[in-house]
Amino acid sequence: MSTYGTPGAGPVAHDPMTLPADDNVDHYTFCVELKGTQWFMQKGKMIAYYGSIEFNGIGHGRLDRLVRTSFHSPLHASDWVVAEGSGKMLLADRAFDVNSYDLEDGNLTIRSGNLLAFQPSLSLKQSIVPGFLTLIGTGKFVAASNGPVVFMEPPIRVDPQALVGWADCPSPCHHYDHGYMTGVMGGLRAMTGLGGASGEEHQFEFVGAGTVLLQSSEALMAEQATGTPPQEPGVPGGGIPGGQGQGAGAPRLPGQLGDLQRRFGL
Amino acid sequence: MFRLQSSKVLAVDMTGDAVKAKNGSMVAYDGEMAFKKLSGGGEGLRGMVTRRLTGEQMTLMEVKGHGTCFFADRASEINLVGLRGETLYVESSNLLVTDGGLRTGTTFTGMRGASQGNGLFTTTIEGHGQAAIMSDGPALLLRVSAQYPLTVDPGAYVAHQGNLRQSFQSGVTFRTLMGEGGGEAFQIRFEGDGVVYVQPSERNTIAGDV
Repeated sequence: MSTYGTPGAGPVAHDPMTLPADDNVDHYTFCVELKGTQWFMQKGKMIAYYGSIEFNGIGHGRLDRLVRTSFHSPLHASDWVVAEGSGKMLLADRAFDVNSYDLEDGNLTIRSGNLLAFQPSLSLKQSIVPGFLTLIGTGKFVAASNGPVVFMEPPIRVDPQALVGWADCPSPCHHYDHGYMTGVMGGLRAMTGLGGASGEEHQFEFVGAGTVLLQSSEALMAEQATGTPPQEPGVPGGGIPGGQGQGAGAPRLPGQLGDLQRRFGL
Repeated sequence: MFRLQSSKVLAVDMTGDAVKAKNGSMVAYDGEMAFKKLSGGGEGLRGMVTRRLTGEQMTLMEVKGHGTCFFADRASEINLVGLRGETLYVESSNLLVTDGGLRTGTTFTGMRGASQGNGLFTTTIEGHGQAAIMSDGPALLLRVSAQYPLTVDPGAYVAHQGNLRQSFQSGVTFRTLMGEGGGEAFQIRFEGDGVVYVQPSERNTIAGDV
């Protein structure tokens, strides 16, 4: 055994025997054990590995069968790679907190930028909500977040920037504090910004049974493209690249002039 | 004597001795301290010329005095390394403080440096004493031994120590050119006996998008 590394001071030296299997090494690094098995992961999130592991883009012909069974987001495919081989692999993402979650015959929807890796026993699908991905099935996945993840039970209203994802509750909807904008003064305030806005007039609302995942920071992770949904009537965001379901034009704040025009029928 | 005040602040207790520190990394001190710019990192004229030629630039200052001096840089995580006559290889941008008695120099790294975008050379530190190196997120110490060689992403590599051979692996295939690469086109393989410091974050490298 080597004598390098400083006992007592500094971090502990890891080797393949002491590294955990499919668990966190510390808050920022996750160790995946591969025994001839495969994992889907986001491109470029491997920081180191022991053993022999191969990384292949999803377009690799040999992976066609795997992709067909557990990957249903074709336009998004080039951001994902398959790691296969045997050994232990360390995953990390820009020193963000990483955590693993087990799904048992369940479903979980997550912001696309937060999903780092998942087992092929889960299948990945584009969510109807733009910018989100849904995992269905049984298996483990790894997600990154800005600060530790907090689990909440609905009914709950959450800040859009703090939302990481949700499991088992199919009711994500927008909630506006309309009380804030009623009356002449409220309308003026919303329109001009005079009198100040709390910045918390808009939330996401969840009700029903399930779990909501929040990060303990409002700094968003960079969004990963989820692909464009097919352009069909009835598909939210369909045909609009990176569509946020806003329709054409810039997003409008509640109470902006556009709303008044609509009210007056202009 | 080096100690971590927190994971991001290094405290050095000094009794008339000196340490070499990254220029401008002092955040506070108590007692009497003198800060002196070290031209060429205190490696003499030859060292200065080497660093200029190799592009492994490093601006260091010498801190000398009595009391406690605190160092930090951009809220990077700080890792302490104790050296007992061995050599530590570290990127100059990751070096925060070394004991005054440690010798610093430059060495050729070959393709690893090129793939990191850090140039072809790296900094060596040798002697007896302590050094503090920085990483984006707490560094993991990974042991390399004869039966367990290690492969590292160039963007996550911080430093290494021990008797290690490095080889450069490229996974660039025709699929990479078609935009269907594995995302890990460049890797460094370490074999031998020693430890490698890896950070849970990747610097932007030319391989980052491949």
